[in-house]
Amino acid sequence: MATGRMKKILQSYGKLLALAAVIVVFGLLRPKAFLSLKNMINISRQMAPLVIISIGATMVMAVNEFDLSVGSMASLGGVCAALLAVAGMPTLLCFLLAAAFCMLLGIVNGLIVARFRVLSFITTLGMSTVVDGLIYRLTGGATVFQGIPKSFSWFGTTRIAGIPLLTVAMILFVAAYWFFMRHTVAGRRMYAVGGNEEAARIAGLAVGRYKVLAFALCGLMAGLTGVAVASRVGSANTTAGAGYFLQAYAAVYIGCTVSRQGVPNVIGTLVGAAILSILANGLTILQTPTYLQSIITGGIIILAVIAQRLGKESV
Amino acid sequence: MKKTTITLLAVMLGLFLTACSTDEPETTAAPAETTTAAETEAAAETEAAEAAGEETESAESETEAEAAAETSAAGKNISVMTPYLGSVTTNQMVGYLEEKLGAQGANVDVINTDNDFAELASRIEDVVAAGTDAIVLVSADPNQVENQLQEAFEAEIPVFGVDSGYIDGMQINATSDNYQMGELIVRYLFDDLMGGEGTVIALTHRPHPGVVKRCEAFDAIIEEYPDITLITEQHVPAEQPINDAQSIVEDLLLANPDEGSITAIWAGWDEPAIGATKALQEAGRDEVIVTGVDGNDQAIELVNEGTNLKATVKQNFEGMTDIICEQLVKYFDGETLEVGEMYAPAELVLPE
Repeated sequence: MATGRMKKILQSYGKLLALAAVIVVFGLLRPKAFLSLKNMINISRQMAPLVIISIGATMVMAVNEFDLSVGSMASLGGVCAALLAVAGMPTLLCFLLAAAFCMLLGIVNGLIVARFRVLSFITTLGMSTVVDGLIYRLTGGATVFQGIPKSFSWFGTTRIAGIPLLTVAMILFVAAYWFFMRHTVAGRRMYAVGGNEEAARIAGLAVGRYKVLAFALCGLMAGLTGVAVASRVGSANTTAGAGYFLQAYAAVYIGCTVSRQGVPNVIGTLVGAAILSILANGLTILQTPTYLQSIITGGIIILAVIAQRLGKESV
Repeated sequence: MKKTTITLLAVMLGLFLTACSTDEPETTAAPAETTTAAETEAAAETEAAEAAGEETESAESETEAEAAAETSAAGKNISVMTPYLGSVTTNQMVGYLEEKLGAQGANVDVINTDNDFAELASRIEDVVAAGTDAIVLVSADPNQVENQLQEAFEAEIPVFGVDSGYIDGMQINATSDNYQMGELIVRYLFDDLMGGEGTVIALTHRPHPGVVKRCEAFDAIIEEYPDITLITEQHVPAEQPINDAQSIVEDLLLANPDEGSITAIWAGWDEPAIGATKALQEAGRDEVIVTGVDGNDQAIELVNEGTNLKATVKQNFEGMTDIICEQLVKYFDGETLEVGEMYAPAELVLPE
């Protein structure tokens, strides 16, 4: 009985415990460097782009679809914002237009998937290739850095009372999307669509509309991620988003296991992204050789998912 | 729903076409189509000038036109292939090749595979099957696509490299002597900037054929300096090296928080050096010295601004492409080339 309860606790809070364990281990090994306030702020800023892009991926996975174009869209977001800034447009407008353009592409993804009922996997793979081509046409494949005004970096480098603006943005996005998914009709209907599309359709839900909404939000968040990264480094690399694609889905999958129903959820995604980011940060602080970092990170992801599965089967 | 779909698709198409019709921004390389158009124009000018027996108005365009008429590269299809077009320096080299070979009348086809060597392998197979006249690999380790290059060798398609590495069967790889460049910057760092003592962090990317040779120079030289300690070596991925290096250095600064605990950061190329400099600037760690290699514009700007980035080595990228253009013409002239590596000399860049 007690074992059963323990397993239930593990299943419900396993990932949070894993996150706590990771923090404790690093904290014991390098208490001064790892547990410092400065490092916590550091981690929060480093994980912000991953969290922002992963929230978008969470939306799409909530309606039981997949968006392979998030990485390319993030690259596009950064490139568009940088090119607009070089052209002399006010910084905030550059960011908004770039994110809006990515959102528009997300809407196209959603409309194609919903209207023609084609696999989102293939549609977004196609979109990803289109976006890569667009980036190539816009930049000639080169990193954009010449002529970018200093003000372009404000989003990525500003601090409010010591807290990076990126961290603040991340917290606001998590709160807003958590509220949206948990406490609004649209959010709950998105879960209904993802849970059983046919049932949702029979119940009279406009399934297509919610899918378009999910893809639109995914495009928007990917675009904002690109903007955040470009603003942080003061230049836009044409493949900057590529590194986030797999990590974003890893974060969402780890996050799914945080919820009791095993569905994608914003808080879970935040935990998933935090685990990945804290591992990268802690292993670097421990000055672990790079190959070992990859082995440990991959190993922990696999172990986390297996542990969750075992917990589920035994309950 | 249908109407909305169609309207949105129309808007997207409009935006796409608008984007495609804009002028190239300054940072971009000249696209292949432009080169072809210029070449056609140059050829047309030559024909017109010859027919009328007139002198062309501009001496420069006359030289270009003559060059286009004279070299044996004219009309040849040359496949310029790279997995790293996003890198500033690779992009510059591809741009030079397009410009120079295009001016000689060659049809230059640029193929970029965005960090993906498997795709590069497939594209090599494609151009071999299509019977290209020559392959020029730019910043791509030939060992990683050896099987595909074997197909090219068997089909008697000459393979050249620009800053790529050399394997048997290739003609020429023009590069900087990466080992010597590594030696140049490491010795300057250890002797002149560090005074032969202190601690150093290495930011590397050993899968790159050029960077690994610089790393080997670093490995060998640090052995000679018992008073210099390597704190750690960290691999920096190629997708977003500035951002990743910045994060890595932020973390390492926390692990080594005391002033003087890190004397220097040695980066295998300029982009991680830029990221490291940004992290150090933000943390206010002015005492830490950074060096890069490559001499890209952004890095040179930081060196001249008096930031933590104290020195880099400027590779002669244009010189490398000059070597390859010259060797390609010799090859098409039927000359037998002295196969192997050819070096374009590099120089140290210090604050002005």
